[in-house]
This record gives sequence, C-alpha cells and structure tokens, in this order.
Amino acid sequence: MKIFDTDAIGEKWLRKLAGHTSRRSMVSRLGLALVAAPAFPLLPVSRAEAAKPDRSPEAKTAFARNAQSSDDTECNYWRYCAIDGALCSCCGGGIHSCPAGSEPSPVSWVGTCINPDNGKAYLIAYRDCCGKPTCNQCFCDNTDRQTQIYTPQLNNDIIWCFGTQSMQYHCSTAVLVGGAE
Amino acid sequence: MKSFSIWQRGMVAALAVGVAAIGFPAQATDPHGLEPEESDIVTIETPKPDWFYVRAGWGIDGTAIYDGRSGKMIGIVNSSQLSDMAIDPAGRFYYVSESIWSKGNRGARQDMVTVYDSKTLKLLTEITIPDRILVDERKQNFILSDDGKWGYVYSFSPASAVNVVDLTKRKFVQAIELPGCAALIPNPGVGFSALCSDGTMATVAAPTGKAEITHSAPFFAASDDPIFENFAYDPAKNMAVFLTYTGLVYTAKMGAAPTISQPYSLQEAAGYAPATTKPLSVGWYPGSRQPTAYHAASGELFILMHMGEYWSHKAFGDEIWVLDVASRKVVRRIALKEPAAHIEVSQGADPLIFLNDEKSAGLILDAKTGEEKHRIEMAGAGVISAAPGL
Repeated sequence: MKIFDTDAIGEKWLRKLAGHTSRRSMVSRLGLALVAAPAFPLLPVSRAEAAKPDRSPEAKTAFARNAQSSDDTECNYWRYCAIDGALCSCCGGGIHSCPAGSEPSPVSWVGTCINPDNGKAYLIAYRDCCGKPTCNQCFCDNTDRQTQIYTPQLNNDIIWCFGTQSMQYHCSTAVLVGGAE
Repeated sequence: MKSFSIWQRGMVAALAVGVAAIGFPAQATDPHGLEPEESDIVTIETPKPDWFYVRAGWGIDGTAIYDGRSGKMIGIVNSSQLSDMAIDPAGRFYYVSESIWSKGNRGARQDMVTVYDSKTLKLLTEITIPDRILVDERKQNFILSDDGKWGYVYSFSPASAVNVVDLTKRKFVQAIELPGCAALIPNPGVGFSALCSDGTMATVAAPTGKAEITHSAPFFAASDDPIFENFAYDPAKNMAVFLTYTGLVYTAKMGAAPTISQPYSLQEAAGYAPATTKPLSVGWYPGSRQPTAYHAASGELFILMHMGEYWSHKAFGDEIWVLDVASRKVVRRIALKEPAAHIEVSQGADPLIFLNDEKSAGLILDAKTGEEKHRIEMAGAGVISAAPGL
C-alpha cells in the first residue's frame, strides 16, 4: 500500500527551501515557482488522489487516532507525529519558538501530521534549537512516516543543527509550514 | 584559642603521613601480610570472540568493553558523544570517528578518526577528516575495508558524502559525494556500497582513486517500507542481510554489481500472515534502536520483535525471533522479561546475546537456549557491537 507519495516529499523540500532563502535570490524564485507547481492539475492521477484524502479512523496511524490539539507539552500533540527529542514547549520555548539564548536551525526534517480538529494534513518542519545543552524535559519519539538516514528529510535521529553558531542540540520545535494536501 | 582552618589541618595531616613514611620505611611486617603498593596500569588482551562493546548512550562519553562469558567489564574506549567505533579486523586498534569542539560546546569544530591501541587503550594518533554526520545509534556510518587498510566515514553537512581514510598512512584521502545515499555496506575488493532514497543500492568502486558510482535497480520502498540501517553483513559469504519495517528480508551478494534477492516475509517464516503497512493491522513487527544481530557461522539473524501497528519501528522488542536466513524459517523465539532497545550477538562457536535498554540495563543470554547468563547494571544505553570473528 502506498502511504506517502513523492509529490509530497518534493513539495516539502521546496517549501523548506523557499522559506529559508533570500527573496531576491534566483533559487528562491525557482523554489517558489516549483512550490506552486503542485497546485496546477498536472496529472489526472494526482488530482484523483488529492480529491479523496482518506481521513477515516481506519486510514489513520495509531498516533493520528490518539492525537490531541490542546496541550503542546504532551507527546501526543498532533504536530508531534514525527518528532524526536525534547519539546521546546517544555524548555522555556514554544511550539515554534526556541528557548532564550538558543538558535533555530534553518533546515530540518519534516513530517505530515493530521490536525484532529479539521481532519486535514499539514506539513510540519521540526527545527532543532541549538547552542545549549540538551533540555531534559518532555522527551518524545514519534515515528509516523519516519525513515532512515538515506532519506534524511524524513529522519528524526540526525542532529539538525546546521548553519547555527553551535551544533549542540537543545530541543525541537514543530513549525507549521502549510497544508499538505 | 586560634583555630586551624580545614586547609591547614589537611596540610598537617599530609605532612604527618610524609614524615611517617620517611621515619618508617616500608616493611613486610604487617601481621596481615599487607604489602605497600604502587599504582600501575592494566594492559588488556586484543579483542576476543566473546567481547561486546557498548556505547554509554545519548549525551554520555565512552564505549565499555564487556567479556560476555564472565559479564565483567574489561575497560572503556574513549569515545565522545555521537561518535562511531570500528574495530581493526586484525584486532590491533580501535578506531573512533568523532567530532569535538575547541571550547567544549562551541568554538572550532574538529572531525577526526582517533586511533587507540587495543591493548593499552592509549591514544595513538588522530586523523583529521573534513566532516561527518552527527547522529547516535548507528553502526553503518563508519566501516572499514575487510583488510583494515581503509576507513569510510559517512558525512552529512547536509550534503551526503563519504570520507575515505588511509588507515595505514593515517591520512585522509578524499571525500566522495554520494547524494541521496547512506548506510555503508562493506564490499571487499570493490570499495563500499550504500542504500539510497530511490530504493537502489549504490556501489562505489575504487573509492581511494576514481571512485566510480553505480546504482542497482530499485528494489525497496525507501519511504513506504524502509530497510533498517543497522543491518547485518556476513564477511565469509560476502553477503548483506536487510530487514524492512514490515519484516521483508533481503539478502545481497556483494560485488561490483551486487545481486539482490527477492524478499520474503519474516512473519511468514514464523507461520503468520505477512505484515502490512495498513493502519489498525496489529501484529508482530521488527523494531527498536538496533533491531537485528547476525551470527555469521550459523547464518542466524536475531531480531527484536514487538506487537504493534506499522510505523512503530522504534518500539522496543518483547521477543527475539531467530531466523535461519538460508532456510527462511524462524527457528526459535525468546520471550524477554523487559523490552530491549539494542541487540548484538557474539561471533564465537557458542554465541551470546547482549541486550540493553535506554536505562542502561544490560542482559546477556545464551543465544541457543535463551538462558540468562548475566545482568549488568549501568552497562550502557547505546548501540552494541561484537568483536569480529577473529
């Protein structure tokens, strides 16, 4: 059974690229153009899949069936479907905020998580906050669609503190990038 | 009355001991036969077939060596956090691929392969490399050639590459870009191979020279049913054994163009229906941090299994399933009292299983009977390696 399509993976990368590149750069323009591309009806098959996202309990993972949307300091908060690490929400930061003195990594791994309030899937960027010792609070390790290092953008074990002053891992955030369908 | 400070009292006590030592030279006159002693340093043996190497775990330095037969610690190899260790096939050295910073948690980053003498565990030298991946719990990010002359260190910066290290001259040779691939596989006489996100296996021939990269045809679903990276390699058969999240077993005969078998279901090999990727399909699945261990002489694969649904691939194992890879049968099942996060098996004739969890509880079992041999508190919570079949 195919769970995850390559369109979605490509879109994730391009959204991430577009969101972290200078607006004036050619790369950004190209990225934005390509991010928009999935919105155009390219293939009948793609349209058919996009039109019928199966959000029945039978189609949801164990995590999605039990996820909640009220407490972002708990491991079953819906955006944490593929997070691995200490929740920044428990470390003085927030769902998209690094604790004081730490620095968000500009790149990340990603997950596609279902919001229980509306049944829609959203692309989540799990950006590590870096430059302080590991925050030993609220350790979670959720694994929906989490793969191995040869597919790094879907791997939650890698220390993603690239492009930061320090590569020391502090905690992880779950930044909402946008709808995934 | 003027009172002495603690420091002053300490000094007086130390001087008193010194004066006593001068006034009364060491004599073997103690009625209990206790002799004066001097400090010395132990020298250990080269790796033995029953030895295990256990990383301390997340955020902690060190790799402990245990004799699986006695359950006793032999020593500790210096290894920094997020490091990887490889053992010289001839048993002379321990190599640690690691990253440190000039000011502890900041400053200039330094990546290196550090070389330790296997008998003294003393630092011999450091081989500077340009970069390496920072990740825990993996065995396939640092491998050696079968003759021990070359080291291959996986790098992710976040571009994928492999650093080639000459372990004889103790020099970095070159970095080979390997986009979309990771999880290094030994490939004697050729170079090395790796698994890729497009479902292929990449093979890098002549990695110390031209480094020509070829790919197999796609054979596994890298996003939908990935192969666990902590896979097994059989040096005698020159064969890799892979396991996917659903329990599909592949073997690959390594070579310039590796031959990859058609997969079979681990669950079917145990008399169950094959596992699926569908939600709400509860069954036995492989999982944990280090889910497989392979005993080369018997061709048996030891797999940590748990009951669950798909995408539960990090769940700790409640049972060990022993798969005869060639006959495609699960020949034994060992129920565990406590779930295990890592599994390794020694390579001797009477193999032992080493298990641990994330609280560092270590457990040694007889691999044939499952009989408990030793429990080790604070054994280490990280990935486990076995001494090569020397």
